[in-house]
Amino acid sequence: MINMLTSAGLVAAEKCINKSLQYDPATQNALTACEGKILSLQITAPAIKIAVLIQEKSIRLMSQWDGEVDTQLSGSMIALAQIAQTPVHNLKDSGVTVMGDLQFLAHLQKIVQQLDIDWEEMLTQIFGDLIGHQMAQTLRSKINWTQNRAKTAQRLASEFVTEELQAIPSTIELKEFYRQVDELRLAVDRLGARFNNL
Amino acid sequence: MNEEKTTHFGFQQVPVEEKAKRVADVFHSVAAKYDVMNDLMSAGIHRLWKRLTIEASAVRPGHKVLDIAGGTGDLSYQFSKLVGANGQVILADINESMLNVGRDRLIDRGVAGNLSYAQCDAQFLPFTDNTFDCITIAFGLRNVTDKDLALRSMLRVLKPGGRLLVLEFSKPQNELLSKAYDTYSFKILPFMGKLVTQDADSYRYLAESIRMHPDQETLKSMMDNAGFVNSEFHNMTGGIVALHKGIKP
Repeated sequence: MINMLTSAGLVAAEKCINKSLQYDPATQNALTACEGKILSLQITAPAIKIAVLIQEKSIRLMSQWDGEVDTQLSGSMIALAQIAQTPVHNLKDSGVTVMGDLQFLAHLQKIVQQLDIDWEEMLTQIFGDLIGHQMAQTLRSKINWTQNRAKTAQRLASEFVTEELQAIPSTIELKEFYRQVDELRLAVDRLGARFNNL
Repeated sequence: MNEEKTTHFGFQQVPVEEKAKRVADVFHSVAAKYDVMNDLMSAGIHRLWKRLTIEASAVRPGHKVLDIAGGTGDLSYQFSKLVGANGQVILADINESMLNVGRDRLIDRGVAGNLSYAQCDAQFLPFTDNTFDCITIAFGLRNVTDKDLALRSMLRVLKPGGRLLVLEFSKPQNELLSKAYDTYSFKILPFMGKLVTQDADSYRYLAESIRMHPDQETLKSMMDNAGFVNSEFHNMTGGIVALHKGIKP
């Protein structure tokens, strides 16, 4: 039996994404280069299969696509989100496997990274110029504050674990350890060579 | 003794040659309000059923698609976007009123170039053999007089490897749902039809024709008998609707 709830959820998500894309004409234009192409996302945790069709400067999310796809990506939701947001050139150890057209994937990755939705325009259309602009300003400052706090929290947590708890080595200690390992490897190689000469 | 051949029209038995005319009368009567009634009757869920049919079609740019009983063009509209400029979609319907409504609606939505219209009978499709990559018939097969003949006709015009998708009302899989559905179909549906289209009889026919339509397994075996392979079906909304798929070998 087809899961109608998943399909209904995808319809809602698709409408939301396409509405947002209307406020980012550059992304819409970039999508035309991929017109008609299909990306299949096989998410392993949680187990969901979604096909993304690029069509008329928008996307279509499909849960029951039964045909060929141009590119297929498999992996956990977290792993897939990570490769979408960070410029990864090599998928080794990323937890993601890929099959098909890699150029299409690279193009999509670039589009996602350059996504720049004009939220202010969206808000002003709904609430008017004055309120919309103020809401956008408030939102921007809140987002900036949250991002700064997140960066600070990450730095402090890292320092606490390495310096205070000494649960894991610091970067400097690690580099020193790797240097010593390299030195030991070279010494063992030299010893081996001397044995061979005996 | 010369016995007249009959077939069902809802719960009535009518002469075979009379069924097409009576079905045509039903659709002439409801054509103008067809979309409104679909939304009302299914609470908009018919859009989801059709969307899933599009997904199961696997239609890609350049394909040729035949949308039989396409009516007001919901599927054809989606297909015309999927096949692109190099593909072709034919919106076919036996009923002139429905086809007119569909054509006007699609032209108003700016769909042109890769979409053609044909008034034709699903039992005798006027296309050459091995023409289409995909054929769909959504909520139309139950109105066809000779379903086996229609399935064979569809098989003929499909390309080898092409797929037929039949979206049709079917048999609910849950006893409780079945009872609620019966009450809805025979009590509420004709009342809604009377309110919106001033035509309770057409919607009574709709409910009756659904009950007379073959259930999931029977339709699947009919597709197998017609010559389709890998036939399968997927129930939607508890089996109220089923999507059958068959491939031409």
